[in-house]
Amino acid sequence: MGIALEGSDAESVVRLDGAIDIASAAELKARLLEALSSGTGVRVSLEGARYLDATAVQLLWAAGRQARRSGVPFQLSGQLPDPLWAALADAGLQLFAIPVNAV
Amino acid sequence: MSNLKSADQFKLSFREEAREILVDLEAALLELNENRADDELVGRVFRALHTIKGSGAMFGFEVLAAFTHNLETAFDEVRNGRLQVTPELVDLTLSAMDQIRAMLEEREGAGEPVACAGILARVRSLAGIGSASQSAQTGLGSPPQAAGGPIRQWAIHFAPGPEFLLNGSNPLLLIAELRQLGGLAVKASMDAIPPLDELDPERCYIAWDMVLAGAADRDAIRDVFIFVEDSCELRIEPIAGTEEPRPEPGPASADAVAIAMEEPRTSAGGRRTYDKPDNASSLRVPAARLDQFVDLVGELVTVQARLAELSARRDDPEVAGVAEEIERLTSALRETSMNIRMLPIRSTFEKFRRLVHDLARDLGKDVELTMEGAETELDKTVIDQLGDPLMHLIRNSMDHGIEPPQVRLERGKRANAKIHLSARHSGASVLITVCDDGGGIDAEAVRRRAIEKGLLAVNAQLSEAETFALLFQPGFSTAKQITDVSGRGVGMDVVRQRVESLRGTIEVASKPGLGTSVTLRLPLTMAIIEGLLVSVEDACFVLPMASTLECVELSTRDIEQANGKHVAPIRGEVVPYIRLREHFGLRTPRPELEQIMVVESGEGRFGFVVDRVLGNCQTVIKSLGRYYRHVQAVSGATILGDGRVALILDPDRLVQDAVRVRTRNQAARASPQASPPQPHGAVRQPEGKAVRS
Repeated sequence: MGIALEGSDAESVVRLDGAIDIASAAELKARLLEALSSGTGVRVSLEGARYLDATAVQLLWAAGRQARRSGVPFQLSGQLPDPLWAALADAGLQLFAIPVNAV
Repeated sequence: MSNLKSADQFKLSFREEAREILVDLEAALLELNENRADDELVGRVFRALHTIKGSGAMFGFEVLAAFTHNLETAFDEVRNGRLQVTPELVDLTLSAMDQIRAMLEEREGAGEPVACAGILARVRSLAGIGSASQSAQTGLGSPPQAAGGPIRQWAIHFAPGPEFLLNGSNPLLLIAELRQLGGLAVKASMDAIPPLDELDPERCYIAWDMVLAGAADRDAIRDVFIFVEDSCELRIEPIAGTEEPRPEPGPASADAVAIAMEEPRTSAGGRRTYDKPDNASSLRVPAARLDQFVDLVGELVTVQARLAELSARRDDPEVAGVAEEIERLTSALRETSMNIRMLPIRSTFEKFRRLVHDLARDLGKDVELTMEGAETELDKTVIDQLGDPLMHLIRNSMDHGIEPPQVRLERGKRANAKIHLSARHSGASVLITVCDDGGGIDAEAVRRRAIEKGLLAVNAQLSEAETFALLFQPGFSTAKQITDVSGRGVGMDVVRQRVESLRGTIEVASKPGLGTSVTLRLPLTMAIIEGLLVSVEDACFVLPMASTLECVELSTRDIEQANGKHVAPIRGEVVPYIRLREHFGLRTPRPELEQIMVVESGEGRFGFVVDRVLGNCQTVIKSLGRYYRHVQAVSGATILGDGRVALILDPDRLVQDAVRVRTRNQAARASPQASPPQPHGAVRQPEGKAVRS
């Protein structure tokens, strides 16, 4: 489980691994702010995420909105596991609705 | 995450809630057994089971949740008219409740397949549910049952409050549970999410608007949110025009969702409504924290007494003003803190419905339990310790007091016997009575048994009350045979010990053939009392204010007029008195003018003669410890403002002690062979473990 920020000249990648919930929300916020201030496009990799709770979703949402307002490319990559995808969809938290910029 | 409660705390919280739900469930089941066609009761049982199931799953009690699911399904069948309520179903559900209780406590063996299988098999057979494995697999994630009731649509607005996530609640799980009640359309609102840098990562800013279509009523929907309703905004409103039955309970239509989302949430009167229960403003506080609070108030009371003492010595009006203000505030705080600890005795009383139901079945007796004064409030400490004594009294009553139906009929009684539990306030005490209409106590048999056991001399003369008091001696039983229920002579001893530890007394009244009544007289509070400080010689004593009626002077002339008898005429009544100086063996001469503190005791009005009355005081009761546990006339000690220790007297026991000594001395004078007269002069315990009536 963890949140990692990897940077290159072209893109900052926030990599989510395992369960991302209220216990890691503060860290996720810090990494997202860091990525958004890097001056590059931001990609959040969901490849390793096994669980996202409401705190994670709202952070991703806030980050996407900030990116759009400031014209920074922002995208989500990787597929969530089916049960997680279904649970989020059941709660109306489809990640596709995050207000991202076209990459 | 220092703010986060640990998983254990959430489990603890769930257990507490679930225990309360189980108490209500038990009461509802027993009522349902009497009124089997009562739909309201069926609904109550169903909702309780549903809540335990849903919340159990949420807090990690998956086995419990799966087990309860089967019961819930059975009662859903009852709700829908496909299954009848029978004594068998009620007994089965009661047994299942015991399993649930064991699972909650995570007792060894609880929830194991063998323990649950028998119950589940019978439940499934009654309700016509599928196999065990099917049930286990579909238990929690099963689709909504085909509903038999009218299909309605509900608009639900759910907005978690700032503390919602910190309390360990998960909105996603609640929504998933809601989905089990029918077709659900969900729209999450992200409007309140602040800019990322201002966002508190531990707070939930998302709110949900949902439309639920199904047979669920408002209570069933509210039950989903039962553990979080204090930390969220919740509105549940029917969508107009959906009261009529609908063919399919499938997902809500897009139109309905759109309408529900756009329509303002107003009640019929146009006013915005918040669907919070009446008790939303109440708060659950751990008992230990409350005890700590009361302890601190106790310390404050002691410090306030020191301040009052200091102020009296300084003779400074400014200090006196502050001291008086502090005294007023401390008194109010003491009163408030004591009130916080007061709980109605109902929950303790209600537990005995099940006991009476089960015992009546096992003993082949027909017994009805009635209650009175269940709203009477007592200190939490007292309530917590009352369960065992009352249980033993009821078991004893059921086993030995109440006759088998045939015997009752032969004696011209109704076959249906009664046990009546009552509670009422009486001054600073509360009286709890267990009364039955059974055969009564055979005083002669008690006497014979006491002589056999060597507890009583063959020629001993005992009053009826003293005879009945023998029943509470350790190991005493008149039962001809020991049963599972009682007869080992342990129960009544437990009653006596527990009641004594609460500074209470036991009174027994019995009429042969008509029944028995056992009354426990218990103090209202266990921590701080309002007292009157009195002195005898250099010693200070505290008398509880609540049992003190008045204070009058006792002059040498009054004493002479009484011809040496310890009585004084007060308001036209001759009141006997005890001179504490003599009673406690203080040898110094008494002053010219003494004071009689008149108290209301179990034996009637009685006076305690003291040298001086020093004034009223708030008294923090400190235990005297085990060494003094047999000193019955003293209920504790307190520390005075000047650091001295004052003993707190128990007027009832002091009077009983004095009466007993006086009776014994009179008997000794009448019969020189008997034990020599005992002098007044010490706080004594006549026989180590004496029994009071």
